[in-house]
Amino acid sequence: MTIFLMFVGLFALVMLNVPIAVALGVVAAVAMILTTGPDILPNVALVMYDGSTKFPLLAIPLFILAGAIMNSSGISRRLIAFASALLGFIKGGLSMVTIGASLFFAEISGSAVADVAALGSILIPAMKKRGYPNAFAAAVTSSSATLAVIIPPSIPMILYAVMADSSVVQLFVAGIVPGLLGGFMMMGVAYWFAVRRKFPVEEAFQLPRLWVTFKDAAWAFLLPVIILGGIFGGFVTATEGAALAVFSALFIGGVIYRELDWPHLREAMMEGGVQTAVVMLLVASSALVGVFLTEQQVPQQLAATIGDFTQNKYVVLALLNVLFLVLGLFLHSAAAIILVVPIVMPLVYAVGIDPVHFGLIVTLNLGIGQQTPPVASVLITACSVAKANIWEVSKFNIYFVAVLLFILMLVTYIPIIPMGLVYLFYG
Amino acid sequence: MPKLVQLERWFEQLLEVVVMLLTGGMAVVVLLAVVFRKAGMSLVWYDEVASIMLAWLTYYGASLAALKRAHIGFPGLVESFPPRWRVTAVYLGEIVTIGFFALLAWVGWEVLVVLEGSYLISLPNVPIQFTQSVIPIGAVLFIVAQLLSLPRALDEARRGVHHQILPEVMDK
Repeated sequence: MTIFLMFVGLFALVMLNVPIAVALGVVAAVAMILTTGPDILPNVALVMYDGSTKFPLLAIPLFILAGAIMNSSGISRRLIAFASALLGFIKGGLSMVTIGASLFFAEISGSAVADVAALGSILIPAMKKRGYPNAFAAAVTSSSATLAVIIPPSIPMILYAVMADSSVVQLFVAGIVPGLLGGFMMMGVAYWFAVRRKFPVEEAFQLPRLWVTFKDAAWAFLLPVIILGGIFGGFVTATEGAALAVFSALFIGGVIYRELDWPHLREAMMEGGVQTAVVMLLVASSALVGVFLTEQQVPQQLAATIGDFTQNKYVVLALLNVLFLVLGLFLHSAAAIILVVPIVMPLVYAVGIDPVHFGLIVTLNLGIGQQTPPVASVLITACSVAKANIWEVSKFNIYFVAVLLFILMLVTYIPIIPMGLVYLFYG
Repeated sequence: MPKLVQLERWFEQLLEVVVMLLTGGMAVVVLLAVVFRKAGMSLVWYDEVASIMLAWLTYYGASLAALKRAHIGFPGLVESFPPRWRVTAVYLGEIVTIGFFALLAWVGWEVLVVLEGSYLISLPNVPIQFTQSVIPIGAVLFIVAQLLSLPRALDEARRGVHHQILPEVMDK
């Protein structure tokens, strides 16, 4: 009964627009007092402190900081120039450039919203100028930025790994093949539109031009090599790789490109700090809920109940896909991961799902949520950059979201696609 | 400039400096740890200090986010209410939020009293009271941030300003 009241209370507070972190803390504290008495209250402070000291989560502010520094260092301009030299000769070249640049950007940046703002502010006006429909320009920018959610380094993956006690490095590796596959499929959709709507070619392919733009962007390409090479090669942990990324970004932006200045650096540090605090407060208060639910054995009971209904892991995966897709419509990715992952993990283990495989499924589901209103943060940012109507954009975007859903199905039901590289490198 | 706005600006600047120092400091500490480990001289205090800095960033940064009303919420339903109901919802939300952080400040203080005489494992000269002081102090700062930003939140509720109170962190 207490648990039922707890969830009703949580729902009511969230609907009243109480910050989710506060709502979680309130219902957990009340539930603890109701079941154990007021003597338990000092535990609230202890758990809220311990919950905010999860060492692997240090990677989050550092990756956000690195991405923000690179965004302020002229990297988007250089990446777009290179992508244009590489892909601009194809029909609908600018949309290909958008997808290609998003994939590159995903290797270093910490935020899809920041990617949309950085790339979209250059590419959306350029596409409009070349006769692309405004809504299409916003759609392709928005959905290709979301694809970045599964390309390492990925902040939702770090958060999942901590909440599920799974390997963040293996999760990063698992995202590579589906991420690239999704990128190529999105390019296919963009090409289909280009042929139907007669979008223009940008420039003839010229090897010297490709070389010049590559040289100009070479330092930017070095960054993912340093970060991912260090992490995958086992030289540094994900957290240390993130710190390395910050200092490499500072060096490239400040010394090589000389486009980074103090106001931008200050802004980047603030952005990284505040965004991290928002997520970490959620983590801390969810630790309070976690303590209570674990004491009441709720995750185990959930696993047993669904286990009685079915032991088939593919049926369970289908149920979990529906759950996370619905959650993604209404909840921000951080909140959904922090709230739900610890509760469903016993079920995931019980039916024999690999936690790394499941992590990618969760991340993709919540990435799709970034494109589906009402809570569609990335889509809304793209619409705001393009000054386009969200429903007009969605008419084009639905084709790109279909690609993301298709990738989700592939990842869910053909595990070798995400896990092949993981098995290859980690046995 | 009205005094309240001036006070809010001063408070914001103070928190911004703390957040910047903590974010930059964490990057330096982690990088130093890598350098020293590769040089064969691992820093014993690295994990513990970096985790404490993260906890401090959590609560001091959360106060700054509260001042900017940037915590993750679900404004969709309340924004569809008529103005009077929206204002009532803001007041209810404030009571719940401030009540929770007042409780946290109180129990956080109680814990500090109990922790007297305890020290960090890797840095035996640093009292745990100092590191865990972030809970009561952070909770009080959060309450101050809520109160300072309340007039703005009420004004927006009256005017029906629709905005995304969504941070961007998880959208990578």
